[in-house]
Amino acid sequence: MIKTKKITLEEPALIEALQQHKAIGAEALYDMYSASLLGVIFKIVADREIAEDVLQETLVKIWNSIHQYDATKGRLFTWMVNVARNLAIDKLRSKDFRNHSKNQDIENHVNVIDEQRNTTYKPELLGVKDLVEKLKPEQKKIVELVYFQGYTHVEVSDELEIPLGTVKTRLRMGIMELRKYFK
Amino acid sequence: MESGILELYVLGDLSPEEKLKVEEMAQLYPEVKAELAEIEKTLGKLADSYAIEPSEGLRDNFLSKLTFNEEDTNTSISSVNLDTKQQTFSSHNNAKVIPLNSSKLNFYKYSFAACFTLLIMSVAALFVLYNNLQESKEQLAVLQSSNQDYANQVNYLDKKVESTNEILSVYTNPDYKMVELKGTANSPESKMLVAFNPKEQKVMIDMKNMSMPAHDENHQYQLWALVDGKPVDLGVFDGVNSEAVMKKMKAIDKAQAFAVTLEPKGGSVNPTLEKMMVMGAI
Repeated sequence: MIKTKKITLEEPALIEALQQHKAIGAEALYDMYSASLLGVIFKIVADREIAEDVLQETLVKIWNSIHQYDATKGRLFTWMVNVARNLAIDKLRSKDFRNHSKNQDIENHVNVIDEQRNTTYKPELLGVKDLVEKLKPEQKKIVELVYFQGYTHVEVSDELEIPLGTVKTRLRMGIMELRKYFK
Repeated sequence: MESGILELYVLGDLSPEEKLKVEEMAQLYPEVKAELAEIEKTLGKLADSYAIEPSEGLRDNFLSKLTFNEEDTNTSISSVNLDTKQQTFSSHNNAKVIPLNSSKLNFYKYSFAACFTLLIMSVAALFVLYNNLQESKEQLAVLQSSNQDYANQVNYLDKKVESTNEILSVYTNPDYKMVELKGTANSPESKMLVAFNPKEQKVMIDMKNMSMPAHDENHQYQLWALVDGKPVDLGVFDGVNSEAVMKKMKAIDKAQAFAVTLEPKGGSVNPTLEKMMVMGAI
């Protein structure tokens, strides 16, 4: 999977190229963000094939609705992750996906369960440090649910039976923890 | 800032009002803005750490789905940007709409051409069929007339067979006596045959084997029987143009001789002996 030439652009140049529907914009979008977006999508749908379908949908949607992105309100990637997460969650809830899940064999199913419990990892993830493991269990759970499962903080509060304020605080603490790590 | 609302903002998990508030704060306080950027960066790195390289081919697949706009390369962002965007979208739309229209147009074109071709073929077929019909009608007329000819011929033959049978029945019947009438001084060459059946009182003359001189329109031949020395009228006949083969004359039960005289048309009460043509005794 080694690309001979990967195109990277500065964020403003990329945004401009995307807005003008130039080929270089699409290529840079793919080369710069497809892997990260696929990671996020895979975390939600837990199926490589479906994740790649959703990635395609996500990239096309980004391409077609780039005019909805407002650079003053945040980074492009943050916006793109939100698009990807929403499409992945839509997929997860769609009939299509449920039918697909039914057809999965037992081995796969075990993997999906393991995935949800975070006990084992797909080969794709081997070698990548699980940063979330660095967090305290209660922070870890919330970051997982919100960032990778697409839960709203209200849903997390219901799910874990924790007050809303506590959800927010733990989320903040978790992210602070990660910030320290990345510094 | 410490409440965790900025994190939720970055995660897209805020109501529209809360979102606006955060955006206002970010405008007012650079440190809020910096904090937001910091959170975005962290979450971006978190996502990056889970990155999965997509399958080969996905890149080309994705790029093939898009329509690119390679013009306007020199357009600056800012003010013209919106226009370019509009153009991009409208040209994008046009590019999709035109082939649809032209394919529709093509469909109509082709269906019209097909209809027209069908029409021409139908007219040609009709013409051929009409010609065939005329030909058949002519043949039918020819066949009908030849059929009529055959029917006539059959009728004619039938009549001939009938008359031949009649002759045969007379000649083969032993009750008939054949009396040969020979020419007199008036007409030595003449001769004819009379068949006489005294049992059934029948007198027939053979019209076919008759050799009598022609007479004019105002005269006819009259057959007489001599009974005990007296002439008895047996009817008239024409010497020529007779259709019948055997002509049946008036009935008589006995006679000693037969004679034929030429009489005015319709016959006479008494024979004109000077005009006796043939006679013969039994």
